[in-house]
Amino acid sequence: MDKKAYIIKIEQLNKWFDDFHVLIDINLNVSSGEILVICGPSGSGKSTLIRCMNNLEVYQKGSLIVDGIYVGDNLKDIQKIRTEVGMVFQHFNLFPHLTVLDNLTLGPRWTKNIPLKEAKDMAMHYLEKVKIPEKFNSYPGQLSGGQQQRVAIARSLCMRPKIILFDEPTSALDPEMVKEVLDVMIDLAKEGMTMLVVSHEMGFAKQVAHRVMFMDQGQIIEQNRPEEFFNNPKEERTKLFLSQII
Amino acid sequence: MKKYISILLSFSILIVSGVLSADTLDTVKSRGKVRCGVNTALAGFSAPDSQGKWVGIDVDVCRAVATAIFNDPKKVEFVALSAQQRFTALQSGEIDLLSRNTTLTLQREVGLGLLFADVIYYDGQGFLVTKKSGIKSAKQLNRRTVCVQPGTTTELNLADFARNNKINLKPVVIEKFSDSVNAYIAGRCDAYTTDASGLAAIRTTVKDPDAHIILPEIISKEPLAPAVRQGDDKWYNIVNWTIRALVTAEELGIDSANVARIARSSNITQNAKRLLDSELAGQIGLTRSFAYNVISKIGNYGEIFEKNIGVNSPLKLERGLNNLWTNGGLQYAPPFR
Amino acid sequence: MSNIFIWGRKNLYPTTGQGIISIAIVSLVGLVLWNFLPWSIFNAVWVADNSDVCRQAGGACWAFIWEKLYFILFGFYPAEERWRAWLVLALFLGGILYSGRSKSWTLSLIVVWLGLVVSMMLLLNGTLLGLPTVETSYWGGLVLTIILAMTGIIFSYPFGVLLALGRANQRLPVIRGICVSIIEIIRGVPFISLLFMASLMLPLFLPSGFVIPKLVRAIVAVIIFSGCYLAETVRGGLAAVSRGQYEAAQSLGLSYWKTMGLVILPQALSKVIQPTVGSFISLFIDTTLVVIISMYDLLGAARAAASDSAWLGFAREAYVFLALIYFAFCYTLSKYSRRLEKDILTKKVH
Repeated sequence: MDKKAYIIKIEQLNKWFDDFHVLIDINLNVSSGEILVICGPSGSGKSTLIRCMNNLEVYQKGSLIVDGIYVGDNLKDIQKIRTEVGMVFQHFNLFPHLTVLDNLTLGPRWTKNIPLKEAKDMAMHYLEKVKIPEKFNSYPGQLSGGQQQRVAIARSLCMRPKIILFDEPTSALDPEMVKEVLDVMIDLAKEGMTMLVVSHEMGFAKQVAHRVMFMDQGQIIEQNRPEEFFNNPKEERTKLFLSQII
Repeated sequence: MKKYISILLSFSILIVSGVLSADTLDTVKSRGKVRCGVNTALAGFSAPDSQGKWVGIDVDVCRAVATAIFNDPKKVEFVALSAQQRFTALQSGEIDLLSRNTTLTLQREVGLGLLFADVIYYDGQGFLVTKKSGIKSAKQLNRRTVCVQPGTTTELNLADFARNNKINLKPVVIEKFSDSVNAYIAGRCDAYTTDASGLAAIRTTVKDPDAHIILPEIISKEPLAPAVRQGDDKWYNIVNWTIRALVTAEELGIDSANVARIARSSNITQNAKRLLDSELAGQIGLTRSFAYNVISKIGNYGEIFEKNIGVNSPLKLERGLNNLWTNGGLQYAPPFR
Repeated sequence: MSNIFIWGRKNLYPTTGQGIISIAIVSLVGLVLWNFLPWSIFNAVWVADNSDVCRQAGGACWAFIWEKLYFILFGFYPAEERWRAWLVLALFLGGILYSGRSKSWTLSLIVVWLGLVVSMMLLLNGTLLGLPTVETSYWGGLVLTIILAMTGIIFSYPFGVLLALGRANQRLPVIRGICVSIIEIIRGVPFISLLFMASLMLPLFLPSGFVIPKLVRAIVAVIIFSGCYLAETVRGGLAAVSRGQYEAAQSLGLSYWKTMGLVILPQALSKVIQPTVGSFISLFIDTTLVVIISMYDLLGAARAAASDSAWLGFAREAYVFLALIYFAFCYTLSKYSRRLEKDILTKKVH
């Protein structure tokens, strides 16, 4: 595959929290349109890795290029990357003082200078897509967890991102709400969005992922197509992990 | 901390006083009014009346100086000052004249670079007692209780007085002024002591003022005088001779009612003529008729005294030490020759 | 009648222990009123031409307040221009009423008040409006207190927010250090010493005759002092906003100022409404300290009024009157803040 087709290129990336070496010599390339599911035990560095991609975490060594832009110290570049890379958080992180509609229009209006009318239309479009257009005037506190997470997905869609990072999007949800969120993510995947998903939802991985990656202790242990990964894991640690979560 | 601040203050005063422009009269004339520092509120000396007009003996001194210069008592800007502010306000040039019940002392002249004009009011510490008690003299206060505020020179003066007269006083020290006064009124003390003008003010506030008397003894010296900056002799002379004109006028029997008639009269005395039509006034930057203007618009010293603090005013103060020297007091002005 | 009895029984005497406390409190209140009412109402003099009438009566002399009303409200403000001062009071009340609607509670409220205070000052001074100039040294009484408190609140709030942002900023250690020093130094000195600095030291370092009006000096002191206390309050609010909110805003590509202005501050500030209004109330009360630099604010004017030799001895009446005014203001403010907080909370059922 031509190297230029990679939308994310990571080489020899290392990160420390003080003395703790969280990410060790990470090498990873992601193609445009690829859906990558990252799993691993807690503390394995999987969240930290995707948070490096929009500079919510700063790495110390190696290189990280997103959509041709080097992620480093340049504030302008970082803001540009952030408008192109959406992120969905474990705890939704909707803005509680704003209505759903305002949550969705905030980014487009203030980073892309899109007129209010247009931003609203777009917001309504994506709210329909996540199947809660009727809640546009509610405050986040009035919604259930599943609804909030769907709004959060719509919020990142409103930025028309090239990539969306999902940081354990369903792990804070009550079990009965997981499906509504996964359904939305599956729809997105089918439309060809580039998605990096940190998750233990193996059903989701089997259904839509192009690749599944297992991390442990700051390193990538194993990655493969989903059927190979689940049916034929090569490493002992992967086997152990899979046996624990399935 | 307090000491540190005062050192800092006097240091900065030294720096600043060096650069102040020397001619205050020019400054005042170009500004069109005298900036005069007065007390924020002290009954009889300087306080606003119900219409916000300044009233008091200190205030009238300011107006007299303005009249001497501009022939208009309204050309004064009053700057109300607290005790802490008064000297810096003068030194920094914020005011031209400090007329704020300030005691003339050596320290204030040499330490702060002030120059005091003639004394406007001879104050001093006295005693207030009830008529009922039968006390007629401070010497009768042996074994009696006296209410006093702590930490003031008042307390020290009281101790000195007792020692010098070999009497045994029992001071009742109460921190707050109003509490202290109330203690006296409630009968916890036989006498209350502070400056005589203060005693007069207290007496007006009680239910039956006539039931209280101020004893004749004055046990400390508090000569209150207006002050200016050192280094401008002409300005000092203007202030000083304006005050002397007030006293001289009273001595010569000239007041606001008769000054016009006397000035026009053909058999005017030499002394009156020198005062009302002064040939020498030009040399300190005033007009020949400055004293005439002041007396016709403000009145003489006696009139100012009576109007603001005299026996017919609410403060009901006797002239006492502030009587003319010819009547046994201390007010004595040098001649206008 | 029986209704009152039942109410009393239920609210005052539910159990013997609480009943005894009720009786003690009721009798204490009764005792105070028993002594206060004859003075304040029954023996009080409401109308009098001079103070002698009051002295004979022995009760409160409310005629004194009536006599001194203009001075207490407006200080030395010239009588013929007094309509301007009345207009200022009206503007102020209008502002209060406007702010009272919960709908008005947006950031634009600050702009409204800024406009109000500027127009009040223009009106009082008059020069720019073609009216006779009245210098700030003639402003006084309630009007002066309002001007001091309003400018203090309006300017110290943004100042405090900026200080708090500076202090919370991890990326710029120099700015952070400066903000921390300002906050800690100012909070380490009493307000009085700041006022003294502004009124005594400042003139000495300025060229002679170059006089900054006392009002401006006092306002600056109020803003700096109150701003530093507000900064600490705001810092508490900032700390109460979760990290996720910063991250969510940043991941949308918002810059630092937009993150703060659109996402963080609205949340942080609304979390600390009560302590903020508490700061405003203490600022309002602290303005009385300008008396020590000889300004005639409400308290200073009342004290001066009580020193008029024609009306000596009615300081008590003046203080009671002041207490009523101050209470009315502070109570309104705290009531308002409670309603505001309730309104904001009900929007976010969590």
